[in-house]
Amino acid sequence: MINVQKTGTLLLLVMSNLMFCRSVHPLPICPGGNCQMPLQELFDRVIMLSHYIYMLSADMFIELDKQYAQDHEFIAKAISDCPTSSLATPEGKEEAQQVPPEVLLNLILSLVHSWNDPLFQLVTEVDGIHEASDAIISRAKEIGEQNKRLLEGIEKILGQAYPEAKGNEVYSVWSQFPSLQGVDEESRDLAIYNKIRCLRRDSHKVDNYLKLLRCRIVHNNNC
Amino acid sequence: MPSALAFIFLFLNISLLNGQSPPGKPEIHKCRSPDKETFTCWWNPGTDGGLPTNYSLTYSKEGEKTTHECPDYKTSGPNSCFFSKQYTSIWKIYIITVNATNQMGSSASDPLYVDVTYIVEPEPPRNLTLEVKQLKDKKMYLWIKWSPPTITDVKTGWFTMEYEIRLKSEEADEWETHFTGQQTHFKVFDLYPGQKYFVQTRCKPDHGYWSRWGQENSIEIPNDFTLKNTTVWIIVAILSAVICLIMVWAVALKGYSMMTCIFPPVPGPKIKGFDTHLLEKGKSEELLTALGCQDFPPTSDSEDLLVEFLEVDDSEDVQLMPSHSKEYPGQGVKPTHLDPDNDSGHGSYDSHSLLSEKCEEPQVYPPAFHIPDIIEKPENPEANLPPTQDAQCSIPYFHADVSKSSTWPLLPGQHMTRSPYHSIADVCKLAGGPVDTLTSFLDKAGKNVLKYSKTLETEEEKVAGQEKKSFHSETKQNTSQPLLQENAPIVYAKPPDYVEIHKVNKNGVLSLFPKQKENDQAEKPGVPETSKEYAKVSGVTDDDILVLVPDSQVQNTALFGESAKKAPPSLEQNQSEKDLASFAAASSNCRLQLGRLDYLDPTCFMHSFH
Repeated sequence: MINVQKTGTLLLLVMSNLMFCRSVHPLPICPGGNCQMPLQELFDRVIMLSHYIYMLSADMFIELDKQYAQDHEFIAKAISDCPTSSLATPEGKEEAQQVPPEVLLNLILSLVHSWNDPLFQLVTEVDGIHEASDAIISRAKEIGEQNKRLLEGIEKILGQAYPEAKGNEVYSVWSQFPSLQGVDEESRDLAIYNKIRCLRRDSHKVDNYLKLLRCRIVHNNNC
Repeated sequence: MPSALAFIFLFLNISLLNGQSPPGKPEIHKCRSPDKETFTCWWNPGTDGGLPTNYSLTYSKEGEKTTHECPDYKTSGPNSCFFSKQYTSIWKIYIITVNATNQMGSSASDPLYVDVTYIVEPEPPRNLTLEVKQLKDKKMYLWIKWSPPTITDVKTGWFTMEYEIRLKSEEADEWETHFTGQQTHFKVFDLYPGQKYFVQTRCKPDHGYWSRWGQENSIEIPNDFTLKNTTVWIIVAILSAVICLIMVWAVALKGYSMMTCIFPPVPGPKIKGFDTHLLEKGKSEELLTALGCQDFPPTSDSEDLLVEFLEVDDSEDVQLMPSHSKEYPGQGVKPTHLDPDNDSGHGSYDSHSLLSEKCEEPQVYPPAFHIPDIIEKPENPEANLPPTQDAQCSIPYFHADVSKSSTWPLLPGQHMTRSPYHSIADVCKLAGGPVDTLTSFLDKAGKNVLKYSKTLETEEEKVAGQEKKSFHSETKQNTSQPLLQENAPIVYAKPPDYVEIHKVNKNGVLSLFPKQKENDQAEKPGVPETSKEYAKVSGVTDDDILVLVPDSQVQNTALFGESAKKAPPSLEQNQSEKDLASFAAASSNCRLQLGRLDYLDPTCFMHSFH
């Protein structure tokens, strides 16, 4: 008796499922079978990331700069070359427009890549030192996370738009940030200040280059 | 040594006392880049120390040790330094210092560390346009459009601009701000129609400072067309409803007159004295009695009736019924009133009025020859009635002379008794019969009367002509008398009130004989010795019988008989078409004015019965 009931309900369920399934037409994700995100959308997503990363690094710098506001001597001492300056990144609009897009994309990739380790180090260096260390640490962690996504996105663009140039990342030996082990407080502060300054600059560069590339590749210089 | 110091102090004091001193420390207060490709720095000069002071700006870049001077002091105004494209490096820190130098000394400002990337402040947007547009569903919105400032390079993507607009109505105090992102247009919905709005825009680089607010533009939102249209339609509907109400009210009040104006009722035959009410009720006996039918079918006594009955036509309802007043009580045989406008619709109206009129009606009653339209039911009895209609009069009046029997002198060759009586008989027959035949008969009778009237008219003229001749010669009217006497009506002597109508004089005055002489004069030509004329009405009895009294003022001048002789030949010539017009004239001639009462000579219409 119960078995009959069970089988009955089971059959009913199966039948209803079949009926429902018949009425459901699966939507094709990729029209024409070519599952690829359009380039414009890729760029938009990437630029959103880069913009966000820049905003984080800018906030980080402002937090730090509050402590040394108008301390010209300190600032004068702190400013030193960023390690990433060895990368031959274009220094102006005209330069950037002369660089081929795939080369520029690869440069961007290298730039973003180069910040993975320093960011990781920054978290340990800042911890407990400054009053604004919590804000700096959280942002540093966030930037680290977003950088990974940014790298994925740029690699996708490369693979879609310039597949032949993929893998041509420049792995130049660049100078690294000085280690802060066993360094006095002032030197440590100066080093941190410089690092964050360089981070802000490099994220701005990435953002700017990507926006240039978007207008160049997607909108044909007619943004 | 101490003297040297003293000299130095003295020198300083002297210089101070002179008011001259080295310049104060200048200060760079702002550096801005409008397009991320050039930038300008402004400084505030310090005190000049009373001496002309030179300012110079020096800078060095990050990583470089060389110091450069400002390439352009002019472009951006006084106390400024403009760095053109070739001197601008982005992503590099500039260390800028301003030096003030005068004769006394110089001073330098604090160095400023400037990265062009972060000092971008663009110009405000330009070409701000405002337009009011409509969606498909008639919804209105404000379409705001603008362009980025000229020098920024947005097209290549080097410069990414974000915009903001703000708007407020004329009456509002605060601005309403909207961030528009990177688009250079914006739609604003839900604006108040009829109000003026002010709009401003500003822009900002993706990473930089907001520009100042641009040129203010204003636009007036037009009134919502649909709303206005609806209001107009509501007003139109209300006005038309009011007008309709007024028209309905006017029609209700004066509808009858308007209807008669537009659709004049067709005149129908009228029989005076014919009561359609009785007909409707189906009381044929009463109807017949009203018509003047003693019995049905008529008997041979009818001939006498014709002779004996005096037709008196006062304005409404009086008749003289000598012997048959008892038999035909309340019969009001009216001489017809000829209506000049006989073909108008008065006929129907008058029938109603007659049927329902009072027994005592003044002369205001419109004189008309009416054959009452028996078919017609009282239509709009209230309209076109004589002003003094008295509804209590129950005596129906038979207008047509067909039923009149009169004491008028009979014209030679006429059988007065027959034709009227024929008419009466026919009328009596028809009264019980179908209504339409009666109507046709009445029409026919009317036509006959019309014919008769025309002859009468001619006769009257002749009478008038002859009267002059005969008047002088015949004071006693001998020639006329025999004729008259021939046709002297027989008057019954039974009722004391009845008199014999002697003649009708020129003026239409009734000449009456006293009743005692009637028998003597019946069909005898003779000269009446007395020519008393009963022309004065003493009163009206209850039976609507006119009581006449002698009046010596009236003279006998009528030579009616002579003219009557000539009637027959001309009678044949009458045509029905002319009758109507002539009849009217004849009837007026037939009418005798006696006192306040109108008497219509029935002999006028006697010819028609042959």
